[in-house]
Amino acid sequence: MTDTATRPEHGPSAGDPLEVAFAVNGTAVRAAVDVRESLLDVLRERLALTGAKKGCDHGQCGTCTVLVDGRRVLACLTLAVQARGRAVTTVEGLAAPDGTPHPLQQAFIDHDALQCGYCTPGQIMSALACVAEGHAGDDEEIREYLSGNLCRCGAYPGIVAAVRDYADSARSTEG
Amino acid sequence: MSAPTGRGSDARSGPGGAPVPRIDAYEKVTGATRYAADRTPPGLAHAALAVATVGRGRVARVETAAARAVAGVLLVVTRFEEHELRPAGYRLSGGYGFQSLQPLLDDRIAYRGQPIALVVAETPVAAAEAAALVEARYEAAPAVAVTLDAAGAETVGQAAALPQPMFADLAMGDADAAFARSPVRLDAEYDIGAQHQVPMELLGTVVEWRGDDLVVHECTQNSGAVRHGLARQLGIAPARVRVVSPQVGGGFGQKTWLQSHVGPLAVAARRLGRPVKLVVDRTQTFHGSTFRPASRHRLRLGADRSGLLTALVHETRQQTSRHDLFASDFTSVTARLYGIGDFRGHQRLTRTDVQTPGFMRAPFEHAAVFALESAVDEIACATGHDPVALRLANDTGSDPVTGRPFSSRHLAACLRRGAELFGWAARTPRPGSMRAADGTLVGWGVAAGAYRASAGPAVARLRLAADGRIAVEVSGHEMGQGLRTAIARTVALDLGISAGGVRVGVGDTGEVPQHLTAGSWGTATALPAVHAALRRLRSCLGAPDEGPLDTVAAAAERAAAGRPEAVVEAVSLPPGQSARAVDRLRAGLPTPAGPEYPGFSAFSFIAHFVEVRVEPAIGRVRVPRVVSVVDCGRVASPVTAAGQIRGGVVWGIGAALRERGEPEPRHGGFHHADLAEYLVPVNADVGRVDVDFVDVPDPLVNPLGVKGCGEVALVGVAPAIANAIHHATGRRHRALPIRVEDVLAPEDDRNGNCP
Repeated sequence: MTDTATRPEHGPSAGDPLEVAFAVNGTAVRAAVDVRESLLDVLRERLALTGAKKGCDHGQCGTCTVLVDGRRVLACLTLAVQARGRAVTTVEGLAAPDGTPHPLQQAFIDHDALQCGYCTPGQIMSALACVAEGHAGDDEEIREYLSGNLCRCGAYPGIVAAVRDYADSARSTEG
Repeated sequence: MSAPTGRGSDARSGPGGAPVPRIDAYEKVTGATRYAADRTPPGLAHAALAVATVGRGRVARVETAAARAVAGVLLVVTRFEEHELRPAGYRLSGGYGFQSLQPLLDDRIAYRGQPIALVVAETPVAAAEAAALVEARYEAAPAVAVTLDAAGAETVGQAAALPQPMFADLAMGDADAAFARSPVRLDAEYDIGAQHQVPMELLGTVVEWRGDDLVVHECTQNSGAVRHGLARQLGIAPARVRVVSPQVGGGFGQKTWLQSHVGPLAVAARRLGRPVKLVVDRTQTFHGSTFRPASRHRLRLGADRSGLLTALVHETRQQTSRHDLFASDFTSVTARLYGIGDFRGHQRLTRTDVQTPGFMRAPFEHAAVFALESAVDEIACATGHDPVALRLANDTGSDPVTGRPFSSRHLAACLRRGAELFGWAARTPRPGSMRAADGTLVGWGVAAGAYRASAGPAVARLRLAADGRIAVEVSGHEMGQGLRTAIARTVALDLGISAGGVRVGVGDTGEVPQHLTAGSWGTATALPAVHAALRRLRSCLGAPDEGPLDTVAAAAERAAAGRPEAVVEAVSLPPGQSARAVDRLRAGLPTPAGPEYPGFSAFSFIAHFVEVRVEPAIGRVRVPRVVSVVDCGRVASPVTAAGQIRGGVVWGIGAALRERGEPEPRHGGFHHADLAEYLVPVNADVGRVDVDFVDVPDPLVNPLGVKGCGEVALVGVAPAIANAIHHATGRRHRALPIRVEDVLAPEDDRNGNCP
């Protein structure tokens, strides 16, 4: 079944494991994945990186947001094989090695931009990209560009304040 | 990132103490927090459910061969044997389930989405594929009834169907006669659609047998009920079951009782000899657990010309399932929000072909107060009074139902402070009289809210470790409301130490007995037990009953004397409860007290002030700002309580303008069973939300003076928005949600408009 040499015109079938190599949070990983498996399931179930959450598995809620080569993607709608050769960043990869939180993570703490915390990793990854994209100019723009990340606890006011705070300090650092 | 032990900078900066940041925020922002489905024990297998595609009937045959043929499939079960799985019983009948019906025990289909097979496989993707290949033939009933008006829906009087005092109809004075002679009368019907809790965390369970012992990681607000319910289902001793639920990714009432999939999962894990995980898919959560049932309210509200409310008749009808009566309690809040002497309530239930509905944030108060506060606004209009002034004039110091005083009631302070913070004095009363520079209609609305101040029995265990740190285990669950922070802050303020040095454990039946955490009673239940345990600890250490305590020195002293770590345990009960409540706690059964206590009644109160902007051409409603002022007694944790209130306001925006579970009238179930179509508020829907607290301790409910705040936060938001829309457009809306098409629809309102 796994001898693809005998049927070169076909890709691997469903259920066949396929070895993929990519980087997660700066570390090279290899995993034998089912070609149908999402990046989210591979991160969570095979690589023990459970920071990215499953909230719908349909690209509707944003809790699974991670960065692939710096772009925000929904890990539930990204096949694991699509990550081949790419650099994946998850929420676990943001803090300094000594545990000091990333400034955006600290801003989330300072503004209590969370309650249950389940959407928080996705919010943070999405916000990081939102700021990098230049879409954090004012509160209204932040709200718009973070509206793909649902928060049922309703921590939106704190999230906007945290992202604005981080964006302002990031700009002033650059300047 | 560990905080130092001993005295911290946040201790005792004022009478109520300084705010403490959310103590588990660091773990949450770094992705370190482990929710139930984040567990991956070795050898883990993955489950998925196949569900019924008819709304009522029986399964004639389930075809599983294709599912079994999927590579990696370990098990496909369509029917469990009675000796291995029994029903857990319905919670209102002394059981532990959210409904009486346990799927996979017989061929009955009571609702669309009911599980017909459980599949277990090596990977989530194999389980999902196999579940999709399960095919069933049904003998479907010719018709289903899923709405209040459907043919075949059966309506019963609640008091007659459930002959217990707590479900009886309320009556004071002669409301019908008083209404008939009131010079100002409003007779109106209000319609509130079904809603779904949709916490971001999917229902998720990991079950693992360790010999004859079962360990369950489950996202639940009620690990005690899951433990005892599973023990009953599996026929084993409760002591053999440990349920662990330290962090729940949002509950909102969805996770209050044993879910139908947990028992089957435990049996599957035992058959396979492997741990099994099930993450219920999002669409299935709309049918696999409870929801806020649709309800309808007829209000007859009378007043005199001065705006004094004289009579209220509140008749309700609420959806329930065909197999269970989910009791309603709409009238206990409408009877008490104002000092109306003549009141009559009548509550009915309508049986429909759905899973049993249940609790969702402010389960009855949200809908009941939408009706009442919309009606009160109409009375204000009709009598020419300012809506804030009219509410202040109808305030009461005593409970109209019992005649006894409220333990504390600062609704007037909430209204006055809210009006000031909002700038209410600048409002011009005539509808449509305020416009923004771009022509957008501006509306300002107000509404009040109340929610019973309940509490239950709790156990707290405090441990002073050798390094001086304090560890607490408490009956309670953390769903994001900030209970762990409130507990840590209570310990820190009491001992004069840093909250960061307090380790808080909750939701683990392996530590202390666990009570349902719901109904805004979590903090008022857990903190008195912690408070009592602190008194014991001080006594055990020979320390004075209050004042700063150097825990590091005390621990070192004990160690030097060769004594073991100090461990104390305390039980707390709300006023009027007997030790029987503790027996029930140990049996996984809840015993919430309130709102009536010996000698007094207790409620939390709130006032919401809302600005809406309505674009006249397209009917779009936006909510740029809200001011909410809360009386929840002493604020146990200012940071997390403010978060709760803001969250409640966001919920109110969703309830008023977005959310409605649309039933499918022919095939059963709900149309809008995913997050793309069931519209919860997104970031762009929410503007500025300012929150303030009265922060006066309640003198009677508990030694800490704390009342709940998570549910009252939602109560009154929707009518404040509807009243603001009326102020903007002159149009009354008596059904939720209020959507663009409702704002634009031709006027058909007969009696709801100010002249």
